[in-house]
Amino acid sequence: MAPIPKDKYSVILPTYNERKNLPVITWLLEKTFTEHKLDWELIIVDDGSPDGTQEVAKQLITAYGPNRIVLKPRAGKLGLGTAYVHGLQFVTGNFVIIMDADFSHHPKFIAEFIAKQKTKNYDIVTGTRYAGDGGVYGWDFKRKLVSRGANLLASVVLRPNVSDLTGSFRLYKKHVLEKVIQTTESKGYTFQMEMMVRARALGYSVAEVPISFVDRIYGDSKLGGDEIVEYAKGVFNLWLKV
Amino acid sequence: MTRAIETISALLLFSSLYLAAFLGLIPFPAKVQEEIIPVLPFWALVSFGAYLLFSLGWGIFTFNDTEAAYHELVTEIQQAKKELRVKGVDVD
Ligand SMILES: Nc1nc2c(ncn2[C@@H]2O[C@H](COP(=O)(O)OP(=O)(O)OP(=O)(O)O)[C@@H](O)[C@H]2O)c(=O)[nH]1
Ligand SMILES: [Mg+2]
Repeated sequence: MAPIPKDKYSVILPTYNERKNLPVITWLLEKTFTEHKLDWELIIVDDGSPDGTQEVAKQLITAYGPNRIVLKPRAGKLGLGTAYVHGLQFVTGNFVIIMDADFSHHPKFIAEFIAKQKTKNYDIVTGTRYAGDGGVYGWDFKRKLVSRGANLLASVVLRPNVSDLTGSFRLYKKHVLEKVIQTTESKGYTFQMEMMVRARALGYSVAEVPISFVDRIYGDSKLGGDEIVEYAKGVFNLWLKV
Repeated sequence: MTRAIETISALLLFSSLYLAAFLGLIPFPAKVQEEIIPVLPFWALVSFGAYLLFSLGWGIFTFNDTEAAYHELVTEIQQAKKELRVKGVDVD
């Protein structure tokens, strides 16, 4: 009998001005993976952050070793969607986790994603703020209204069967992420939503795990009227296309 | 089939059924024909709107505040910084 190949989990972490957050996220990742005896690597895709994120990334490579931490920078700020495509080229694991570097996605949930994935060999596991024990910290009424409203609009129009369509904390089988990302066209705000809708249309199985979402403690947030309009347009486009 | 085609076909199906009922092509008791069928579209629209409003309100109301997660994170950040400094990583 051939030996069963061991699972390896590759985290793709796009960063832009995350000098303060990156080391702590890395520490938390290492803690989670070590506690659960999992093989892992972290692929940092930094878009030339002016705050010295890459200096810190290099220190992390020294601290944790080049087989754990990989830095794959790009010259300028080219956006999130293409950051995943870029990072994906260097993945050596058979599972890929995508998350944000700003602590809104706590690495401890990765262990739960993995456990969930194993129960029914799911293609995708996605974190949800809207179901079970999931939730957010630090959001006022207006932020909750916008978030819920946006999600409701998408659920009614696109009927995706997932409770958190815009979340971006997800575990994919590597070949599934490759396939889905290939067919995804939108950039920016609707990117995560399109990925999920496309995955559904391609027939991939998706499970959800409730996550507690702590909004960024360091750095700036960017959500305004323009994003809301962009979002509504994105939902409508997907309604037509997928 | 895209979601748009799905939605539009369902709408077309329902509106042709409705039209048939409205024009009396489907036999209904007179009371239904006179009192229910004419207001059905409004009723459907209002119910849908009410459903949306209710979902939105319920969603906001049941949105958990995960304060414990925040405090846990703050503690972890402090510990992480301590250990990272020892490893020679710049944290402030
Ligand atoms: N490589 C790369 N990373 C990016 C870019 N834009 C954002 N990021 C990173 O992507 C992740 C998510 O970005 P955020 O700014 O937190 O976006 P968000 O979560 O939608 O919004 P807020 O947290 O409210 O600001 C973070 O880890 C960012 O550092 C980019 O253009 N290139
Ligand atoms: Mg964020």
